[in-house]
Amino acid sequence: MIACVLIPRFELVVAAGGLEALAGRAVAIAPDGGSGPIGEVSGAAQAFGVHSGMALGEALARCPALELLSADPIAVAAAWERTLGTLEGIGAGVEPQRPGLACFSLDGLRRLHGGSDELVLAAARRALDRPARLAAAPTRFCALAGALATRPRRTLIIHDGARAHLAPLPVTLLRSRERTAWLTDALKRLGIATLGELAALPRASLADRFGAAGSEAHRLACGEDDPPRPRRIETPLEESLELPEATGGPGLERALEVLIDRLLARPERRGRTLRAATLAARLIDGGSWRSGVTFREALAQPQRMRLALAPRLAALPSPASVLTLTAERFGPPTGEQRALLDQADEHRRARLREAIQQMRSAAGADAALRVHCLELDSRVPERRVMLTPFES
Amino acid sequence: MSGPRRLALPRTARVRAAPGGQPLAVDGHAIAHVRESWLVEDRWWTDQPLRRRYWELVSETGRDLVVFHDLADGHWFRQR
Repeated sequence: MIACVLIPRFELVVAAGGLEALAGRAVAIAPDGGSGPIGEVSGAAQAFGVHSGMALGEALARCPALELLSADPIAVAAAWERTLGTLEGIGAGVEPQRPGLACFSLDGLRRLHGGSDELVLAAARRALDRPARLAAAPTRFCALAGALATRPRRTLIIHDGARAHLAPLPVTLLRSRERTAWLTDALKRLGIATLGELAALPRASLADRFGAAGSEAHRLACGEDDPPRPRRIETPLEESLELPEATGGPGLERALEVLIDRLLARPERRGRTLRAATLAARLIDGGSWRSGVTFREALAQPQRMRLALAPRLAALPSPASVLTLTAERFGPPTGEQRALLDQADEHRRARLREAIQQMRSAAGADAALRVHCLELDSRVPERRVMLTPFES
Repeated sequence: MSGPRRLALPRTARVRAAPGGQPLAVDGHAIAHVRESWLVEDRWWTDQPLRRRYWELVSETGRDLVVFHDLADGHWFRQR
């Protein structure tokens, strides 16, 4: 059995500062960059026909009193991490799908929490610090359908077959999966309204018409799904830098260089390479911005990290007051691959690296530093240069 | 590293100044000559605006000093 935890309007609640702040207010998350579709909406806004993903102009036409809140992805990520940690605290191997939605397998937890699915879900509810919809079903997709159907603070357990439970439900449920989201409109145009009607079609025909997405949709409708893939629990490493003024362009890139150097010099990294990192910024006019980067291969070279991360800075919607770089996932320790030709430079660099490592272990993390130019032309002397860890 | 390490951070200074604001002595060293003075105003659009009157001075012993008067809180700082 798979459990699904759904916390509705998670991002909106965090951005508003709590559930109470939303009571009776028509509120929505402002579009990213000032244009495009709006984010999550409150219940009061929904009553006016406004929904997530709607164009801002249409949303304001339907609800002129709609208040827009700046998205706060940094606070959302922190709150979501706390929630996942809480669920992992009861022993669950959690697969996070998006902020506010996660699932985990109940197998192996029953004996920890009294012997039944109901007791495991009750333990999960007690652990969570906010109202959540909980459901359990044979598959992830069916558990999500159950969580969407149940009322807040209620728990639904689907014991019968997933296919039978899903049959009367609308095909719009397929929107919950990235791969099948685009199919729903096409299926509706073809007159296929429910998952039962979809499951009755031959899988080969759907694969022929819609490719892999069609086949995947048919699997889901038939009550087949992949098991949850629990996330690997790793302590992320984080480095932040306050930007004293609205720095932009080259100034931001230099701040990023400082962060990369500091992150790579952290002893907790233990020589491991980085597979994924997140660049985040607290914006000077309120709100925050966040962008995740998965490197093509695990790496630990500052120049290559800078090449991968620097283009993301161009997407900052407004000037930043704090820039943060977080190492989210790690790869194996840096390999010492031998070059085909003898390279004296590389040999010297390896010896330098070793020397720095020895100095740091003897004299602490500040043993080898270099002067990094931040804003050489600044009129305020303390903004011009700073010390960063030396990386060869 | 324990935190961002910027260089040339301001350090508190004991300054005796003339009524017009010109420093006469810095940390007990009498000033012989004022080389230059300039005003820095920055971040006026934020809640923490920066307003400093800088003085580049030469002490009687020949040392070159840079001090500034923080016009927001009235304190004096050395920066070189």
